[in-house]
Amino acid sequence: MNVARLVIWRILLSLITLLLVSAAIFAIIEVLPGDVASRMLGRDATPQALAVFREKMHLDQPALVRYFNWLSGMMRGDLGNALTSSRPIADILAPRIFNTVLLSLYAFIIYIPLALVPALIQAANRDRKVDHAVSVINLLFLSIPDYLLGTLLLVTFGVALPLLPAISRVDETSSAIQYLRAMTLPALTLAIAMAIAAVRMLRDNLIEVLDSEYVRMAELKGLPPRAVLLRHALPNALVPTLNVTAINLGYLIGGVVIVEKVFSYPGFGGLLVDSLQLRDVPLIEATVLIASTVYIGANLLADLGAILLNPRLRTS
Amino acid sequence: MTMVASGATARSSLALRIRSLWRRAPLSLKIGATLLVLHFVIALTGPFWAPYGASEIRTGPPLSGASLAHPFGIDQLGRDVFSRVIHGSHIVILLSLSSTFIGLIIGAMVGLLSGYIRGWFDEILQRLLEAVISIPFLVLALIAIVAAGPTLAGNPILLVFVIAFIYAPRIARMARAAALDIVTRDFVTVARLRGESAWSIVRRELLPNATSVLLVEFALRAGYAPVLIGSLGFLGFGMRPPTPEWGLMMSENRALITFSPMTVLGPGLMLASLVVGLNLFTEGLARILGRTVKLADQ
Repeated sequence: MNVARLVIWRILLSLITLLLVSAAIFAIIEVLPGDVASRMLGRDATPQALAVFREKMHLDQPALVRYFNWLSGMMRGDLGNALTSSRPIADILAPRIFNTVLLSLYAFIIYIPLALVPALIQAANRDRKVDHAVSVINLLFLSIPDYLLGTLLLVTFGVALPLLPAISRVDETSSAIQYLRAMTLPALTLAIAMAIAAVRMLRDNLIEVLDSEYVRMAELKGLPPRAVLLRHALPNALVPTLNVTAINLGYLIGGVVIVEKVFSYPGFGGLLVDSLQLRDVPLIEATVLIASTVYIGANLLADLGAILLNPRLRTS
Repeated sequence: MTMVASGATARSSLALRIRSLWRRAPLSLKIGATLLVLHFVIALTGPFWAPYGASEIRTGPPLSGASLAHPFGIDQLGRDVFSRVIHGSHIVILLSLSSTFIGLIIGAMVGLLSGYIRGWFDEILQRLLEAVISIPFLVLALIAIVAAGPTLAGNPILLVFVIAFIYAPRIARMARAAALDIVTRDFVTVARLRGESAWSIVRRELLPNATSVLLVEFALRAGYAPVLIGSLGFLGFGMRPPTPEWGLMMSENRALITFSPMTVLGPGLMLASLVVGLNLFTEGLARILGRTVKLADQ
């Protein structure tokens, strides 16, 4: 009973947040002081360009009316037309989202072993030299910005040892193999960046579980250390790691912006940068709203997962 | 005579105290502080000893790669990358620290006040902050910069305020959590019974007791600011050419990476070592202050 109420409350809060996010995006772009048209197009814009912009953006209407029109369109799934190409935004977005979802899935598959293996090594050798060494390496990697990491991988595997394409261009005519080859370097960059963020928390969670009574019990039963670590500690440490994964998904959305640009991969993040450069306001608003929705959804899922998996929350 | 003597002993006891503090400091703080001091020295003195000017062209044969005279190589315009990296040092550090500081001031005030007043004010503010935090920070920075328009693009003051705007809600959330803990203490109740105003209680009771939280928060955010500034520069939304900002330089020199990799790695190494220094310093500071810090959760 209580769980149901908690879950419904959490979902409701997410919806309120989403509504506020839509208002925030709209406010930042369209309601800041000054004339939107001349602010977005710059001082050198011709009067004709300004007039076309005003007409296409319906700037003769009050901001509140424009916001509700935009919001109701979004909720009906009508994203409107792009300003620069006049094509429906949904048509522009669909292939880009497909590419980015594919890339993210690939990255997540690589990310899991990249995060788990170092964390398990650290937890098994806690406070020994290996543990400290992995911590130091982790901290060093944490300080490498993802555009440098991506560029390093690009130079190593795309140029010095030309195993993979240096430019990850794909389109609907590309074969599965071409897709896989094009996605490997960007996915690896994202996976390394996410794993670096997760290893530390996963290690701490594992150690906390290793200190618990049921793990001590398993040890006293005479189970080998490997079985204790993998069968008793790991599954229990994964629950708090859900949260890390949600944070990582939040990172992933920002990360794809950079990584897709580094590798020229035609995904959602690259589209966002392009639309910002072209100052295509409807396209910017739609992409940012979708990015935020994914982030809020990920956090909601992580929280719901924690509520449903935590027996203490279930009974209280 | 006695005054001089007592002055000398005071000075030497201060030096002793610093030395004993240093000896007890965690190793991460020592390495971090050393790296930071090195970076600060380069930022302050660099412009006086850098071999060439930041925008000086014809410093040597373009695209000739790294050599002793040009450790980070020469870029497409014939500028010495090493000198540019040195000249850019104070820009990166100044932008990072000032933006984080403004974000800290705003975030701390809003967060502490909200945690003290509670009620509907707090409730509404929390929802609003939650909404801003729900826009991925790089995306938020990008739309804020684009919304400011091309007239302001590349303006360092815009960059500082955009980063402060991204950090403030996140810092406010931490400050509020700290305030919720502090308001339960007796001295806050006493101050309230004395009839002090909310603002005065926030300033005189909550702020001093939240310093360690805020200090760690500042160090943590400052450690990520150079990366964020670099990301914006790299994407073409940060500082404008010919500013020697490291992220921008890495994107400018990307075309040269196959025959002159140091033109990209040089600025990258400087950026990474600054961030390593800030991260190690933060971790050591957090350990001294008895706080746990999640470096990855930026």
